[in-house]
Amino acid sequence: MGIGSGSVDVSAVRHTLSDGRVLLDDVSFRVGEGARAALVGENGAGKTTLLRIIAGDLVPEAGAIARTGGLGVMRQFIGSVRDGTTVQRLLVDLAPPAVQEAWHAVEAAELAMMESDDEPTQMTYANALAHWGDVGGYDIEVTWDTVTVAALGVPYDRCKYRELSTLSGGEQKRLALEALLRGPDQVLLLDEPDNYLDVPGKRWLEERLLETRKTVLFVSHDRELLARVADRVITVEGGTAWVHGGGFASYPEARTARHERLAELRRRWDEEHQRLIDLVRTMQQQAANSPDMANRYHAMQTRLAKFEAAGPPPERPPEQKVAMRLRGGRTGVRSVIAEGLELTGLMQPFDAELWFGDRVGVLGANGAGKSHFLRLLAGQDVAHTGSWRLGARVVPGIFAQTHAHPEWQDRTPVDLLWHGEPGRPGVDRGRAMAALRRYGLNGAADQPFRTLSGGQQARFQILMLELGGATLLLLDEPTDNLDVLSAEALEEALAAFEGTVLAVTHDRWFARSFDRFLVFGSDGRVYESAEPVFDETRVARAR
Amino acid sequence: MTLTVPPSSPDSSSELPCSDPAVQQAVDRLRGEYAGRVRPQLVVRVVRESRRDLGGSPVGALPELVERLARYRLGMHVG
Repeated sequence: MGIGSGSVDVSAVRHTLSDGRVLLDDVSFRVGEGARAALVGENGAGKTTLLRIIAGDLVPEAGAIARTGGLGVMRQFIGSVRDGTTVQRLLVDLAPPAVQEAWHAVEAAELAMMESDDEPTQMTYANALAHWGDVGGYDIEVTWDTVTVAALGVPYDRCKYRELSTLSGGEQKRLALEALLRGPDQVLLLDEPDNYLDVPGKRWLEERLLETRKTVLFVSHDRELLARVADRVITVEGGTAWVHGGGFASYPEARTARHERLAELRRRWDEEHQRLIDLVRTMQQQAANSPDMANRYHAMQTRLAKFEAAGPPPERPPEQKVAMRLRGGRTGVRSVIAEGLELTGLMQPFDAELWFGDRVGVLGANGAGKSHFLRLLAGQDVAHTGSWRLGARVVPGIFAQTHAHPEWQDRTPVDLLWHGEPGRPGVDRGRAMAALRRYGLNGAADQPFRTLSGGQQARFQILMLELGGATLLLLDEPTDNLDVLSAEALEEALAAFEGTVLAVTHDRWFARSFDRFLVFGSDGRVYESAEPVFDETRVARAR
Repeated sequence: MTLTVPPSSPDSSSELPCSDPAVQQAVDRLRGEYAGRVRPQLVVRVVRESRRDLGGSPVGALPELVERLARYRLGMHVG
């Protein structure tokens, strides 16, 4: 079987959660040979569960998975491995099952040889080595060498015992992706392969996915990557899945059309249902007066029962569009003025002026001081020289990456809204619930903040900005933990925001919505650009 | 674990050529090790038998496997 001859057929799959809730029902789709299918959906909709079912980790309650070709799986946790897993162990775990089995047999035989040198033990070891050769183990080791050189710049023998925890998230991802893309498996399941990759890394991933002949099913929240790579989009929503046969560019339109179609089908069903009920009622009255009508009445009753038993068509999925109301407000013409500003030890002095209504993207190298710059403008204590000031009536509101609010961790959204803080009056439960509903958070209103998903935490922070009446939004990687649909909603809200927006981002799709860019270079220079610049390398700093 | 050796080539022949490096290296080393305790001809025979029994093992791993097995067998012989 050659590369590119793999496929996945998912038919009528159903999965129920331990609390009895049906997560997925009647999920059917096919990822044909050489396809590059994206799996999208709101956080918690069941994307990872579906991947686990396809990978064979979970057995579906109903339905079946059929697959041709070997299966390679990259789990979401790769990139955040912090235990003692070695490079060698990762590569073994990504290899086909026969190779994994042979490797474990060799390892067990070697351990046994340390305990005993007798003849049976030696013969077991020799057999294990022979089997390792038979399953292609030596060829795979040559591939692993290519993989580690490509991903880490060192040969396999020099890094195989290195712990993954000593690698960056991007290096871990790159290692796993190189192994899968160069490995023998024809079908790849990739759960958020672009997480932890910087923009050049994402571009590399896009090129590799475009050139591979393997069949790929991947989960991603990066809209640029989706637009460039996916040739079909599978959406998990409303407890099932549907397929858009085109690319991501035409996806939003297709999704809206589907929702309208579902709503129309449901409306027609409801109308027909009501018509049958009315008929039954009319005939019931007629049957009381005329025995001839009794048979027709019973027939109509049966027809109604059958209609109801067949059930209504699927409901239009609940609207996931988050209704954000970032109102902002008029401020002075100049929102931010910086003169000879230098964050100590991070950059060369620079001048900048932000005008009311500006949409400025802050781009550049990791470690160049972008987040510190935002925190300074938010009024936090950041060491600097030079001067900066905010314009008249400018109220800054900062949206930091998750976990930036330790004081929120054990409090619930309702509690946080009820108490209020300087500049943000508290609201009663009813108003708090109404606000949370607009952000799709009413279901999580009474959960501690730390238990919310990354996307939910991000949406809650934006709600707090709205209620705080900010007129200068300082956003630090706001789309990082948002699913595709929430990110779209955030962009719409920002477009309608009357005020100034300054956002640190490496989301290329999001960056397109900005007017100009402030680039923090790896050489310490801060400069303005009309076009987004994503090629600044990481700042080299003695550690 | 050191697995980086060339792939295996099955060899079930009992008549092993003297030029077989796995045999040659093991004989050279074990002759010296067992000098005075075991006749040199016996060392050659034990090494060849070990090589035959290990037929099918990866060629690159054979020298180590053969020497190890032959040393164990000679050790058992001399007690």
